[in-house]
Amino acid sequence: MGYDLFLGCVIPARLPFLEVSSRKIFEKLGIELHDVDGFSCCPDPTGIEQIDHKTWLTLGARNLSLCNSNGGIISFCSGCVETLKGVNYSLNKDDEVKKEVNNYLSKVGKVYEGKTEVKHFAQVLYENLDKVRENVEHPLTGFKVAVHYGCHYLRPSEIINWDDPFEPITIDEIVKALGADSIDYELKMECCGNPLDKSDKEISLQMIDNKLKSIQEAGANCISLVCPACFQQFDFNQRELSNEKENGYNFPVFYLSELVALAFGFKPEELGLRFHRVRPKELMEGF
Amino acid sequence: MSVINFEFRNEVLKHNASLSYCYQCSTCSGGCPIALITKGKYNPRKIIEEAILGLEDQLVEKQDPNPWLCSTCQKCVELCPQKVELTEIFTLIKNRCFKNNKYPEAFYLQGHSVFENGIAIPYSKAIVARRKTLGLPEIKNAPIGEIKTLMKETNFEKNILEWNK
Repeated sequence: MGYDLFLGCVIPARLPFLEVSSRKIFEKLGIELHDVDGFSCCPDPTGIEQIDHKTWLTLGARNLSLCNSNGGIISFCSGCVETLKGVNYSLNKDDEVKKEVNNYLSKVGKVYEGKTEVKHFAQVLYENLDKVRENVEHPLTGFKVAVHYGCHYLRPSEIINWDDPFEPITIDEIVKALGADSIDYELKMECCGNPLDKSDKEISLQMIDNKLKSIQEAGANCISLVCPACFQQFDFNQRELSNEKENGYNFPVFYLSELVALAFGFKPEELGLRFHRVRPKELMEGF
Repeated sequence: MSVINFEFRNEVLKHNASLSYCYQCSTCSGGCPIALITKGKYNPRKIIEEAILGLEDQLVEKQDPNPWLCSTCQKCVELCPQKVELTEIFTLIKNRCFKNNKYPEAFYLQGHSVFENGIAIPYSKAIVARRKTLGLPEIKNAPIGEIKTLMKETNFEKNILEWNK
């Protein structure tokens, strides 16, 4: 059993500290993650797919063909999960396209069979919620968490097939299992705006500004999320926005795995929390 | 004046037949976060209308509304009472824009990086060092020859990278 770990690009090559907590918590839970040689970019559903759909399908199918674990693939990134699930969905419903893609893959000695299941790490955590609860050594008392689900963790629901596309519960439940409070806020289900960073920075910043304002009004003291694109938008661009304003935001942004790791008793120093742009200070007292 | 291009319309329909289900109710635009922020300048309903009418010039050349402003949040797809797969259709339109050399630069850079490195973000020396400090394993990426072969097979190199140089 166990899963093949699909890392993608953004986490290992830009935000490696997020990989640290993610690996540690699964080790603690006794869930095996296998490193696989030879994965490429998933490819990015908001990038390569928008340039050329056929290439997106082909490279995605190649990645899926490399999986050997019975549990299938696990990823720490919502974009990778959406791509790999989306490629499975598209190829399994259209034999003609599947044949075409397999014809390309045959040039590099690969075959897409369509049997690889793909899971988001938050899904695996939710499926093991009792185990998560048992491992909490340091409950996150005083953490008022604004949960940001992010679009690609949920939608399109026909492809993702996990949780509710507009009224999700899984991440809130995980956060509560750690002893933290989940704070509801008006724009909870809105997009963070990260994909617009490539085409219109101004709109992208407007979107994250609106979300942060809504989180501020609701009285949360930190944010938690499960996608590296959202992480950059909330952490890096929160800093950027705050530099331009008088009364800027100051919300530490935790990857869900970081909250789980802290609750499991790991220390902030070993998780690389110092690499966040918005440093979590007050909340770290006592850790 | 806009010119109807039936071939373009048929291409979209062939790629995604759900286009023909649209009855222009505008639920998509009502739920679209970008339509809200741009005060309707970006308008998913209008993109679908133009696709139904085969207004290739309006969509690909003038890009009015600009399909690159879609954030792919997929809200419209969930909300559509007719199950029109809007983002799939927008993807096809953006693919066409790419072939016609009309796209934001960041997309080209990503395509180029995947072709050259197999990944969207190459590992810098600083990141390799940081991974080591953090106790993370070394990454063994895709054999680049394999990725290049596939991206040549799908004509990505010829149609996308060479045309757009």
